[in-house]
Amino acid sequence: MMQNAIHIDDLSFGHHSAEQRAIDQVSLNIAAGECVALLGPSGAGKTTLLTLLDGRLRDWQGRVSVLGTPFEPTRALPLAKRADTGFIFQEFALVERSTVMRNVLNGRLGRMPGWRALLGNVSKSDMDIARSTLSDCGIADLADRRVDSLSGGQRQRVAIARCLAQEPKLIFADEPVSNLDPSRAADILTLLTSAAQARGATTVFSSHQPELARRFADRIIGMRNGRIVFDVATRDLTDDATAALYDDTDPASGARLKVVS
Amino acid sequence: MRSRDLGGFWAGLFVAGVLLWSLITTDVELSRLLSAGPRIADFFGRMFPPDPTIMDEIWKGSAETLRIAILGTLGAVFFSVPLGILASETMVSAAVHRPVRTVLAFIRAIPLILVAMLMVGAVGLGPLPGIIAVAFHATGMLAKFYAEAIDGVSRAPIAALESAGAGPLLRLRYAIWPQMAPVVARDTIFRFELNLRESLILGIVGAGGIGFYIQTYVRSFQYDKAASVTIAVVIMVIAIEGINVALRRRFA
Repeated sequence: MMQNAIHIDDLSFGHHSAEQRAIDQVSLNIAAGECVALLGPSGAGKTTLLTLLDGRLRDWQGRVSVLGTPFEPTRALPLAKRADTGFIFQEFALVERSTVMRNVLNGRLGRMPGWRALLGNVSKSDMDIARSTLSDCGIADLADRRVDSLSGGQRQRVAIARCLAQEPKLIFADEPVSNLDPSRAADILTLLTSAAQARGATTVFSSHQPELARRFADRIIGMRNGRIVFDVATRDLTDDATAALYDDTDPASGARLKVVS
Repeated sequence: MRSRDLGGFWAGLFVAGVLLWSLITTDVELSRLLSAGPRIADFFGRMFPPDPTIMDEIWKGSAETLRIAILGTLGAVFFSVPLGILASETMVSAAVHRPVRTVLAFIRAIPLILVAMLMVGAVGLGPLPGIIAVAFHATGMLAKFYAEAIDGVSRAPIAALESAGAGPLLRLRYAIWPQMAPVVARDTIFRFELNLRESLILGIVGAGGIGFYIQTYVRSFQYDKAASVTIAVVIMVIAIEGINVALRRRFA
């Protein structure tokens, strides 16, 4: 049996009343090397779950263990343990006034000795890693450009390069392509999933678009109102299951859906 | 009358009351104001023509004022960097930033001229008390501005660095600083301009600079020389404002 990259047992987060929980009694295992999509409408709890698994949330209930490290429910993950999990943000989360290279090097900060990182003393090996991830992401020629001069697609490539430069064993991507037009979206997900596969990294990305989840993930987990609605291999996903995920008239959960304009 | 009109009526009555109170309780007599006319005219008459023979004193005084403003600003920046960090919501907990902000508010509330007088008493006459006073007074504002610059940056890149395993100092250096740098530059230049304007009068209390000459010449009734110094001060303020506007455009 493959080792679990992520193990979640009876996880809840948010208000004490079940109706208002962001995550409600979720149990889940993800094996090392899997590429999993979290599918669901806005407000389903996808971002919360990914942020929690990235070690940045506290005060949740249940048991969570990531890459063999058990998380403590009362505090965020210690910084030293965060470098092994990379995170790609919906809004890119880049330092706009810094160069592409500087942003990518920021991904290495958790891997450098603190004093050297603070002095800005970048070792040759760190620089080599940053350069090779830049060229893997097809943006080697943009290294010296400032991020605020780039397009949306280029920015997300920089964000992916920053994440890969971190050399993570586990990659979380929160709606990585929802700010991009459809053709760019497919390019970016191709880049992300193939780079992760080449590095043997486990990948979990969230999306509200079923067709992208089907195309790029091995396994799809449907979420709604903080709960897992289905958890299937991609080939077993039925149209009925995805339709139910977005059905606003479902009386069981319709009351809590946000209106998205 | 509708209630909205009534509100305007009360507001008008209040303003009228305040004005009346100011007039009757202060020693403002129309007769004195009228008889002052000729004397003010005489005063201005004696300022002309301005005495151009004191260029040496003007250069010396202006240079000293400029030095007080530069070193005072430098001192304020030196203290404002750590205090600004300690006053920011992003970097420290409420238990730290609330008291620090209160202290900064107190520092801002003390007028510069008062600090200068205290410093003259403490370290003696000359530019040193002026520099200390400007540094102290300006820190109250600049540290607050720096804290606001830190708190005003976009949070997402900070979260991204946190996710990568970077500690608070690394986040400050690589996520917060690049975002706040232009704001810091703009605020510091603005504070330097204020420091220069305010330090022009420090000489009056013996804290160095060109204000010393204004006081000396006015007290000794050498109004033509006082006029020359005044012209120099006006030119200096306009010049520094022009430079400031040009610099701010660069950091926009």
